[in-house]
Amino acid sequence: MTLMAAAILGVAAGVSARADNPPPPVANDAPPPAIPVQPLSLEQVPPAQPPAAVQTPPLSAVQSVAPDTAEAILGQPVTDPDKKEIGRLVDVLVDANGQPQAAVIDFGGFMGVGNRKIAVHWSVLRFTPGDTKHKITVTMTPDQIKAAPEFLDPNKAASVVTPADSVAAGH
Amino acid sequence: MSRAVHPRIGPNRALDLLNFFVADVQTGFGPFVAVYLTSHKWTQIDIGFALTLGTMTSLIGQLPAGVLVDSMRNKRIAATGALAAVFVAALLLAFLPHPLPVLTAQILHGFASCVITPAIAAISLQLAGHAALGERLGRNARHGSIGNGLAAAVMGASGAYFSSRFVFLLTAALCVPALAMLWKIGAGPHSRSQTTSRALDVDGLKRLLADRRLLIAALCVMLFHLSNAAMLPLAASAVTMRAGQFANLIIAACIVVPQCVVALLSPWVGRTAQKIGRKRLMLIGWGALPLRGLLLAVLPGSWPLVIGQAVSGVSAAVFGVLLPLLAADLTLGTAHFNLCMGILGLALYLGAAISTTMSGGIADDAGTTTAFLVLAATGLAGVIAVWLAMPETRPARETD
Repeated sequence: MTLMAAAILGVAAGVSARADNPPPPVANDAPPPAIPVQPLSLEQVPPAQPPAAVQTPPLSAVQSVAPDTAEAILGQPVTDPDKKEIGRLVDVLVDANGQPQAAVIDFGGFMGVGNRKIAVHWSVLRFTPGDTKHKITVTMTPDQIKAAPEFLDPNKAASVVTPADSVAAGH
Repeated sequence: MSRAVHPRIGPNRALDLLNFFVADVQTGFGPFVAVYLTSHKWTQIDIGFALTLGTMTSLIGQLPAGVLVDSMRNKRIAATGALAAVFVAALLLAFLPHPLPVLTAQILHGFASCVITPAIAAISLQLAGHAALGERLGRNARHGSIGNGLAAAVMGASGAYFSSRFVFLLTAALCVPALAMLWKIGAGPHSRSQTTSRALDVDGLKRLLADRRLLIAALCVMLFHLSNAAMLPLAASAVTMRAGQFANLIIAACIVVPQCVVALLSPWVGRTAQKIGRKRLMLIGWGALPLRGLLLAVLPGSWPLVIGQAVSGVSAAVFGVLLPLLAADLTLGTAHFNLCMGILGLALYLGAAISTTMSGGIADDAGTTTAFLVLAATGLAGVIAVWLAMPETRPARETD
């Protein structure tokens, strides 16, 4: 259970990091108002910060993300350019900079028999959060998709299909 | 006095329909569970774990379930318990696709499968008696395959049009007519002592376990599934690579065609097993496997695959009828029919589990052609084992 929760949170964080470009708002952007200068006396120690702006920087900022601006993608159907569903997105390969490199799509098969997983380059995917029926589209022809080799072991090098050459490039 | 509106369903018909409905119910619990869990955002690792848990439960539960069913005088109570467990498992999967309910459902279903197969076989033996068991098992297999094929078609279509949850609701709903048919069967008059162990029958147990024929039969069963289990998944994933859009149709054909062959052939297999004995049929059934493996290795493509599936229907028909028949033959004179079913079932699951792992590894390293050749060679080893080592087990007094 922890593993699954961690995976989902990790991807959700990755997706939301892509979606919002401006950094999260910080409470103390503006310089604090000027402190009135007074001769120091023992009884009166000027506060480190003006009493009116009594804030400490928050630990985290909460931002609201509507489903038509950013969508959950794991387990969602993937459609081809003809709007036909070809499979489901089951995993994301992310590099050390947090940039998604490839998506693993599980497709084909009937009642679970004959399913294959393939890895496609991230640039091949188009995401349309506003469209509830076709959230994820892959801009590859069925022939290119057909020829993709199977993605098997996440611990080995993945063969990721890219549009420039439909022959898989070692990743 | 009112006359019944529907004609009374006799016990044999009820057993036919029981097999039909049980096969329906089992269809949803196959590889479809992975598809369903994917749509509920399960990670691949967790899905793999859930499926493995189900397989392990089915494996480990074979022997205990056999002992359990042996110990119950009324086999229908065992079958009722199993169907109730499947009902609960289907509802858990439908409404609570979270880790704990799903793993519970897998365990429930795994153990229920181990119970229901020997229970139905025992009920068949009690209803038909040993001499007519072959034909009765042939009818079981026919109705089971019809149920399987129809359910695959209906569930596949409804899973696509409605939601995948619908498949499990349908599964749960189908447990009800299964239970209704189960209780219409009534108590069978035959073979009570063979199918029920009163106390711990140590002598009978020793006699059974020391029987060399049982060891050979288990080996042949294991080799059969070692060869058979991985062929369809391996070929099917190759098909999706080639066929693209039509892959779904081809794979649906691959599931339905062998079921049709089994439905057509099984009663004939059962009658023939009674007339000419088991061994010659075993040679045919086991022999079809290396042929199929060779076909799939040499001729990749959609048509050879469908033809290969038709051939596999022959093996499946023979195997489906002969497994319980062999168990009945081997336990004549003992009281451990269901335990023997469990032992053969264990060999079956072991073979199937090793098959998929082994062939997956070979396909990764050396390609699918090599994998099919290895599977064909394993099938050939099975044929040789049947030919050289397996004795004829039909009781002499039944010979015409």
